[in-house]
Amino acid sequence: MSPMKLCVPGERLCSVEDCIPGTGTYPRHGSIFASLAGYVLRRNEGEELPIISVVRETEAQLLPDVGAIVTCKVTSINPRFAKVHILYVGSTPLKDRFRGTIRKEDVRATEKDKVETYKSFRPGDIVLAKVISLGDVQSNYLLTTAENELGVVVAHSEAGVQMVPISWCEMQCPRTHNKEFRKVARVQPEYLQA
Amino acid sequence: MAGLELLSDQGYRLDGRKATELRKLQARMGVFGQADGSAYLEQGNTKALAVVYGPHEVRGSRSKSLHDRAVINCQYSMATFSTAERKRRPHGDRKSSEMSLHLKQTFEAAVLTQLYPRSQIDIYVKILQSDGGNYSACVNAATLALVDAGIPMRDYVCACTAGFVEDTPLADLCHAEESGGGTTLSLALLPRRENIALVQMDARLHQDHLPALMEAATVACKGLSKVLDSVVRQHLQEVSVQTRE
Repeated sequence: MSPMKLCVPGERLCSVEDCIPGTGTYPRHGSIFASLAGYVLRRNEGEELPIISVVRETEAQLLPDVGAIVTCKVTSINPRFAKVHILYVGSTPLKDRFRGTIRKEDVRATEKDKVETYKSFRPGDIVLAKVISLGDVQSNYLLTTAENELGVVVAHSEAGVQMVPISWCEMQCPRTHNKEFRKVARVQPEYLQA
Repeated sequence: MAGLELLSDQGYRLDGRKATELRKLQARMGVFGQADGSAYLEQGNTKALAVVYGPHEVRGSRSKSLHDRAVINCQYSMATFSTAERKRRPHGDRKSSEMSLHLKQTFEAAVLTQLYPRSQIDIYVKILQSDGGNYSACVNAATLALVDAGIPMRDYVCACTAGFVEDTPLADLCHAEESGGGTTLSLALLPRRENIALVQMDARLHQDHLPALMEAATVACKGLSKVLDSVVRQHLQEVSVQTRE
């Protein structure tokens, strides 16, 4: 790799006519300025102008954003919603734990009124979910599992053994052969590798 | 003024500096592994330590969170051994709360808070040794810590004090000059565009002298920004060498 240019916050990088501002930069008065200390990176992505961004050696803290797929752990359930801790955004782990809520209406896409949270999740389950809102004053991140690919991916039975999914709403314990209800995710091959 | 002679006839100050000369500034970034960003800064005999955590979920009451930008939480404290007379309360007294508020206002002007809605950025600064210009040392240290944490900013924030003695503006006051009873102006500047983040003046000053004083503080801030710049660049190079090894 060629020695890249160092930049510091507030440094002018180029004019807005030459590049599209990417991460770590901001446009102002017709110029693009750096907002981070790091290396300047220009990338062509098929568009007319290259995207200019500032990259750092260590990745900055990531925050869950609307539309992001997150991996979370269920901490508590009640008839109206399940509370979770968000652990991963996409495939990057979060340094801090963020709290989220999956409301009863957001568990699945069909027959929303017949959803029962305790037949969908149990505390300790690992769930794939999508962020639908950053929440308001009272609530934190609102998540949904109303897609086939979203839902429980890892769950342990009452015997403490990891269960095997047998249908989209049931999982079975390999030791006791007990069936338990879950909102099971159809795991996609690209997630299996991660 | 009776007592100390702050500016000699030859134009030298108590510690042998010229009127516009700054104190020696030394700084290190990334002094703690646990925090997201940290910095240690010495401005003459004033020593400050700054730590940054975040952005993270809003702690405490959620009603503090803002729907369109991040909340900046600052806490200023002085070590009990930082002054000549031992301090009883390291933080939480009236002076510290005021300083915390000023730091918060300063960094709200510089950090691109709108990138992190509903989250919080914590800035903790501690004065380890106090010899005048505590506010400016804190601002400069916190700027370096924010850069270390990778929090997007419009520009560096550089802060410096300036005083006015015998019709001459003095840059970067030490404790003896600050407590001499003259005017002290604290200026926090985004140096590239000369945007003022915070300006504060204690005691009275004739209006005609204000432009000269502001000019002296601005020049001092710009001088400081060059030093901070070299610290950041050196740190970046050290980090990149370490990761390549």
